[in-house]
Amino acid sequence: MSVASQQYRYTPGKALVLLLALPALLIPTMVLCYIFWQAAPVLNWGFLFGTADGVGFGVTEGIFSQLVGSLLLAIMACLIAIPFALGTALYYRTFATPWQQRLLNAMFNMLQGIPPIVFGLCGLVVLVNLFSWGVSLLSGAVVLAVVVLPLLVLNTLATLERIPNEYSEAGSALGLTKGAIILRLWLPRSWLQLLTGLLLAMARALSETAPIMFTATVFSGVVWPDSIFSPVTTLQTHIFYLAQEGNEPLLISIAWGSAAVLVLLVASFGLLARLLQKLGDN
Amino acid sequence: MVVDLRHKDFPQEASAAPIESLDNQQSVVLTVEKLALSLGGKEILQQVGFSLPASGVTSVIGPSGAGKSSLLRCLNGLETGWSGSVQIDGSDIRQWRGGWDQLRRHVGLIAQKPLVFDASIRANVCFGLHGWRQRRRADELVKTSLQQAALWDEVCERLDAPATTLSVGQQQRLCIARAIAIKPKILLLDEPTASLDPRSKQLIEQSMLQLAQAIPLVCVTHDLEQAQRLKGQVIFMCDGRVIEQAASHQLFNQPQQIETREFLRWNVCDCD
Ligand SMILES: Nc1ncnc2c1ncn2[C@@H]1O[C@H](COP(=O)(O)OP(=O)(O)OP(=O)(O)O)[C@@H](O)[C@H]1O
Ligand SMILES: [Mg+2]
Repeated sequence: MSVASQQYRYTPGKALVLLLALPALLIPTMVLCYIFWQAAPVLNWGFLFGTADGVGFGVTEGIFSQLVGSLLLAIMACLIAIPFALGTALYYRTFATPWQQRLLNAMFNMLQGIPPIVFGLCGLVVLVNLFSWGVSLLSGAVVLAVVVLPLLVLNTLATLERIPNEYSEAGSALGLTKGAIILRLWLPRSWLQLLTGLLLAMARALSETAPIMFTATVFSGVVWPDSIFSPVTTLQTHIFYLAQEGNEPLLISIAWGSAAVLVLLVASFGLLARLLQKLGDN
Repeated sequence: MVVDLRHKDFPQEASAAPIESLDNQQSVVLTVEKLALSLGGKEILQQVGFSLPASGVTSVIGPSGAGKSSLLRCLNGLETGWSGSVQIDGSDIRQWRGGWDQLRRHVGLIAQKPLVFDASIRANVCFGLHGWRQRRRADELVKTSLQQAALWDEVCERLDAPATTLSVGQQQRLCIARAIAIKPKILLLDEPTASLDPRSKQLIEQSMLQLAQAIPLVCVTHDLEQAQRLKGQVIFMCDGRVIEQAASHQLFNQPQQIETREFLRWNVCDCD
């Protein structure tokens, strides 16, 4: 009997493993199918690009302002977090003593484990009330930036870690300054991976709900934010508020529609990140 | 000259004062005194002392693990945790104007492991130049550097190809070109011809001899014949110490120290 045919023979052990592995494959697929099946009736261009009139309790079919609100918050959060993430990672690689490196590593791993709602609470106390920024785009973006910062830092660190020491040393031996090594050796070599990390951070920021609930979003009354100090509506919180309404079928189907769009958005960022990673590996 | 082979207990300090063996006519550009280096709790260099004349090749020979590469890394400032004194033209390299980066431009180092950057061949040669404008207008420099590294004929057709597509021996020569391009005043080469065929080896040696007319060259090599061909002086290192420094014909024909004799005869070293 050949090895190949042996591999395809069923044994009780194999069947058991398959049985245990199946839910992990089936359940997400089923959930996804269910979301899109429920969302199908409302999904059309009008739904995607229509806007609420600003008075109805979300009983308007458009979610465009929520979509833009989510994206705005996520983009702003990442823009705020990027310089700090790069700064921290570069500090770690260039100046930090081994002791500081251990501390930073432990800190960011721990930060990543803190439930985001805790950051939301801090944001409410400090940014919204103490700084009087109010429930606003800015407050939400800063809180979200803190949430995605560990992810960005750890990713940047992992990226820089993949640059061999000899590579930087070869630059040093030519008399390049630290800055030149970073700009001319590290950046060209790792920008694809950095971008991948950024996209993953975007996906993360888009899926966070708790931290922006008290700091950035309102249920209705806003279509477009006029400034960074005005509140926004987002897909995540839109789903949350609509789901609370519970029994109105129209609202529920709008919630499903929003959920489907959000899933697509997050998934597309994730997929794009995977694609870039593949590109970077080649 | 007769060396008493039974005389095993050489005074170690004898290795620190070998200056009299130098050509006395030549002025000295680099002086190393009592250089010591420990890495990870291990003493890698101890009491290293020697000096370089203003031109000519100085070959460094010695068994593997003797600390030859580490010594070059200290002189170029890649290793900064050493103690002792290294003076170039009378000034201490720790107080070098412009810091270590400037020192590394002054003292070029070609590492033992050739490592090219993810860029074109041309960009690799220009990598150490300051300012993108200089790097752009460096065609002439690229050509002469590659010629000196005996690589021009092989790559002149494909200067914009990625440098990583070159063979290991070609990469080694590219690293030499890259270091020559910044016009260092002292050049340290760590086994520059280790992965080269005899012909390329010969070409590189010719370039080295030519360069050595103007600047001092230090060449670590395991090829004793190469050390002889390069003339100049030879430094024999063993176990983190400079055992002997002498003109090449003298060191190979009449080694003064018993360790050197043993190394030359058996290529083994029993330094302790
Ligand atoms: N970073 C380091 N940490 C600890 N030990 C080191 C380090 N670098 C080198 N060594 C040790 O220092 C000694 C000298 O190493 P070095 O590379 O200078 O030898 P070498 O004379 O160049 O040998 P080879 O001819 O094989 O290249 C070796 O025993 C090596 O193990
Ligand atoms: Mg070596």
